[in-house]
Amino acid sequence: MINELLLQFAHWLEAQQYSQMLVSGYYSWNWLEATHVLTLMISIGSLFIIDFRMLGWVLPNVPATTIADRLHKPMITGFVIMFITGILLVYAKPVENVQSLWFRIKMLLLLLAFVNAWIFNAKMRAADGSWDADRVAPKPLRTGAIISLCLWCGVVAMGRFIPYDWVDCDKVSNTTLLWAAGCVEQLNAI
Amino acid sequence: MSNPASASTVTYSKTITVGVLLALLMIFSFTDLRHDTWLKLYEFFLWLETTPFGVIGKTWGAAFAIVEAFHLLAMALLGGAVIVSDARLLGWLFVDVPARDILDRTHKVFVIGLIVVLSTGVFMACGVAGKIYWLPVFWYKMLALATGIFFVFFIRRPLLRHPLDEIHPLVLRLIAVSSMLLWLTVAATGRWIGFAGS
Repeated sequence: MINELLLQFAHWLEAQQYSQMLVSGYYSWNWLEATHVLTLMISIGSLFIIDFRMLGWVLPNVPATTIADRLHKPMITGFVIMFITGILLVYAKPVENVQSLWFRIKMLLLLLAFVNAWIFNAKMRAADGSWDADRVAPKPLRTGAIISLCLWCGVVAMGRFIPYDWVDCDKVSNTTLLWAAGCVEQLNAI
Repeated sequence: MSNPASASTVTYSKTITVGVLLALLMIFSFTDLRHDTWLKLYEFFLWLETTPFGVIGKTWGAAFAIVEAFHLLAMALLGGAVIVSDARLLGWLFVDVPARDILDRTHKVFVIGLIVVLSTGVFMACGVAGKIYWLPVFWYKMLALATGIFFVFFIRRPLLRHPLDEIHPLVLRLIAVSSMLLWLTVAATGRWIGFAGS
């Protein structure tokens, strides 16, 4: 049911004039995609430095909350740009993305990464400040940092896999995979 | 007594070296030498495709995609190091933390990021060597990358080893802006290889 609704919505988006303009313009699509990928250096780059500091791998002599506070603004700026360009990229190729297994896993990992970031931030604010100057953060924060690193690496990898056609609807016959990728027409044909 | 002439030669030896290298680069660029070298490199690029990296990259798309993901993650790590250190030089971030600490620690992160970027980049290039050879944007990226590496290890690092308060603030800002622009160019031209090749 949800797959059918998503596909209908994707077809409606695809029929719009601006969606077609974005995907047909060589420079509009490339600039959008390049901006989305290049902003990684700001958003994920800042996030790596914060998480690595929690694990004691980078700048251990600078208080952990100082690193997190100062890099918060560039990191959020990067994520906002990635979010906007990401939405436009999906808007340009809605059907392709809605029926991509990689895109769906990416969205799931993104959701988990944001939940983890929210929990991590709450734990950091609630923790006793005496650890701040320690080389490594307390175990709950270190765990949060490792989960964050794994989730974001997964998000980047899934994003990179989207253009590949290994599990496209016309390439797979396994019903679970077809359902997970949202291949409505292929599932109905079985 | 020290000889002032020899002292100044020592002081400016790096500047003289950079000048000579730039002159050689100009000669290389504006003569037939550049075109002749490019033609001779074609055999090398075809050979790259026959190496184990080239065979894996061409045969297993999944391996190529996974290495591509690591390449991107390493670029993000490199970008994080560049942003933190250059924003400190510009006085945008961590102004209450000694600049020396930030510069030295982030340089290690930068080097790790660069090593992963280079090794994954070589793997990826081997898989599509015959194709990228014909793309001008690939050569722009190589030029930007070589300039970036040269800039970091032969200009930025040696200069920043001096006490920072002895360096003119404008020079520090110029270094930071140049560094950010160079690595942005490297990343942007790298991304454009994908568009140009498709």
